[in-house]
Amino acid sequence: MSFGPHLFLALLEGTVTAFVLAVTALGLSLVFGVMRIVNVAHGEFFMLGAVLAWFCASLVGTPIAGFLFAMIAAPAVVGALALAADRLILRRIEYHPEGTIVATIGLLYILQQAVLTLYGPDARPVSPPVYFTLTFPWFGYSGYKLVVAAISALLLAAVWWLLTRTTLGLYMRAAQQDLEMAQAFGVPARRVYATVFALGAMLAAAAGVLVVPIQQAHYLMGLDPLLLSFIVVIIGGLGSVKGTLVAAFVVGISDGVVSVFFSPTLAKIVATLLVAGVLVVRPGGLFGGDRA
Amino acid sequence: MSGRGAARLLALHLAVLALLFLAQFALPAYHHTNVARIMVLAAYAVGYNILLGYTGLMSLGHAMFFAAGMYGAGLPVYYLGFGAASALGAGIAAGVVLAALFGLMALRTSGVSFLIVSLMFAQAFYLASLYFNEITLGDQGFILSDRLAPLSVGDASVGFHEPAVKYNGALLLFAACLLLGLGLRLSPIGRVLIAIRENEERARLLGYDSYRYKLLSLVVSGGVAAAAGASYALLFSYAGSTFASILFSIYPLLWTLLGGVGTTLGPLIGTGLMFYLVDVASGFTSAYLLVVGVALVVLILWFPQGILGTIRARWLPWLP
Amino acid sequence: MAAVAPLLETEALCKRFGGLTAVSDVSLRLAEGEIRAIIGPNGAGKTTLVGIVCGRLEPTSGRVLYRGREITAMRPWERLVQGIVYTFQVTSIFKGLSCYENVALPAQRRLMQGIAGRLALDERAIEARVGAALEAVGLADQAERRADALAYGHQRLLELAMALAAEPQLLILDEPTQGLAESEIERFCELVRAIARRATVLLIEHNMSVVLDLAERVTVMDAGAIIAEGTPAQIERDPAVQKAYLGR
Repeated sequence: MSFGPHLFLALLEGTVTAFVLAVTALGLSLVFGVMRIVNVAHGEFFMLGAVLAWFCASLVGTPIAGFLFAMIAAPAVVGALALAADRLILRRIEYHPEGTIVATIGLLYILQQAVLTLYGPDARPVSPPVYFTLTFPWFGYSGYKLVVAAISALLLAAVWWLLTRTTLGLYMRAAQQDLEMAQAFGVPARRVYATVFALGAMLAAAAGVLVVPIQQAHYLMGLDPLLLSFIVVIIGGLGSVKGTLVAAFVVGISDGVVSVFFSPTLAKIVATLLVAGVLVVRPGGLFGGDRA
Repeated sequence: MSGRGAARLLALHLAVLALLFLAQFALPAYHHTNVARIMVLAAYAVGYNILLGYTGLMSLGHAMFFAAGMYGAGLPVYYLGFGAASALGAGIAAGVVLAALFGLMALRTSGVSFLIVSLMFAQAFYLASLYFNEITLGDQGFILSDRLAPLSVGDASVGFHEPAVKYNGALLLFAACLLLGLGLRLSPIGRVLIAIRENEERARLLGYDSYRYKLLSLVVSGGVAAAAGASYALLFSYAGSTFASILFSIYPLLWTLLGGVGTTLGPLIGTGLMFYLVDVASGFTSAYLLVVGVALVVLILWFPQGILGTIRARWLPWLP
Repeated sequence: MAAVAPLLETEALCKRFGGLTAVSDVSLRLAEGEIRAIIGPNGAGKTTLVGIVCGRLEPTSGRVLYRGREITAMRPWERLVQGIVYTFQVTSIFKGLSCYENVALPAQRRLMQGIAGRLALDERAIEARVGAALEAVGLADQAERRADALAYGHQRLLELAMALAAEPQLLILDEPTQGLAESEIERFCELVRAIARRATVLLIEHNMSVVLDLAERVTVMDAGAIIAEGTPAQIERDPAVQKAYLGR
């Protein structure tokens, strides 16, 4: 395959990656933005979504039924888990920034190793709910991947609608701007925090469900999405749907292109150094000047 | 801290070291190597504690300093035939330089930003060690034993595979790092670092350039971590990418938290305890890292001061 | 005018925060050995002004001169070494440390000369200075207590002890009597008079009786600018001052 088609393939792959990344990163971004905390276990919520999807598929007959079941059940279960983590751990330490990082690192290992124990170390495939090929003159492309992109776009739109058109969204934006003021106006901070944390986890889980027919479910699969989501959130800005989207596309597509033409490891090295660079150079640090 | 107080603390620490020295004659073979390993890793934790416990800066990137020492010593031995002493020097130098460069860039940030920047740099270092795996042999790593010349002690030559060399080499390293940490803690510089930890702006307005002190702390912390890494490579004859991974940045945080942040002897206790916890757990299950996760959550929820920190707060306020 | 050069001089100092002008064209002259009070309603820019003098804040424009030398760009820690010492409006001490350690930090600064002086110091020299500072404010018996175990009034005294240990030549006190009981305020005034024998004192105060008691000269600020300057008696009678305080 010559350069042109190769590039086209890379762009297609990058676009699909970008959409899924946007959904995952948006979850992290909302938690960062509204709650001012870093959830290092975010990637494990993604992994749980994928593993639960495999589980749902093994319970139900057809791939499409499994997929639909998973799209409902996985985020629900992961959301409940996130609520528990918020109640039992994060609230107790009062969302202290460095303490939350330590606690969520702990949560990361607990979730990861629990899955290792119950699910095992193997990577297991899940059949895609729909299977068709798009035939281009140079290569065939999996139709399901485009379905993934479409559903991701729907999820992003749904979150945007939630943020701009519902009371919860209003509370979230208010809490992000100025928590004290918001509380003075009657915004129930605790409940908003719990809801946002659950929402972030559910988005990650949904992304996991979408991705698992492409990637296979494995107990270590949460680490890459975590790193990429970090990168997107820090570059794109906290809590901003638009910023996350744009950054996800920049990161997703360039990651796709660099991975195809150079090496995935090199792509990751560049990405991590870029994030560090942004943080060092940006005058306000992580939260300064990042109003949605 | 009067002169007599400092002497008493020194005596306490020397007693601990003496105990460690004597222990080698009583320990069975399996625990003998374990304790040697623990002492090297505890030195790593001592280095980490200088930055977190004394200066109040939490980093998630110390694995890059440990690995800089490890590769800084291991690669010259493997490829250039360096002897142990020069390899150790090279490893420490690598760590110090890396820490200085990192500090110059990253100390413009603080708190969570600093934490993430350190994590990202360390991750880039780890990925680079995988990317250049023709040299570093990546995850698999390389063994030093046939390339490392034995130590010459007087007329005799003692190989690094000897248990006595491993144990006493490790003890020597740990002793040096522990006493360096204690000395720093009791020095005027130590007092400034602790003030910066408690209230940085106040310290600045009382005459101290906090940036310079933080940089110094980071360089010492990185240097000690690198010394531990270099010693690990030389004593246990192995260098590999796993020591540069995120888990190896999380470990010293865990060990320090468990033992007691901001105490001189806490890192030793935390490292030893956690080493054995993981050791025992890995006998039962391949998911032994669960212990790490649970320990972190339990510590942060209920015992943020750690073992020695709690003891100090309740009963022994004079403990450094 | 003055035959002797002033200890501290500001020239047309301005500080703007975005659209807000906190300090506007302030030119102040402080003679050595003076006790000067700065008064004014809330938001007049007093804390901002002294913040620029001690180095916490950078001015938008204007200059600060100390002993005739320009120090506008000098960093806060260097100013401390020059003798400019600031105590905070909201007590800023090392809460988790003992009173001894709180005072030892500024006390050791002058002793830390060169590399050797930073690595190890004779603790007895530090002990002597800490003891003297704590004795002066009456907290000598509290040396081993944790700073946050002290009552608020005593915490303020601790902060004063810390300032003393730093050997100030220009001591800037930002609303030092706020939150103190009557007896504590009296004690405090005695202390300031004793300090003023060796140092120049610049004092931001709301408590008018303290101002009348201590200050030799008073500078009045409002909305970022100096509106009056004179002896306490002159200021009391000044119509512009009365308007600023009462005409609101």
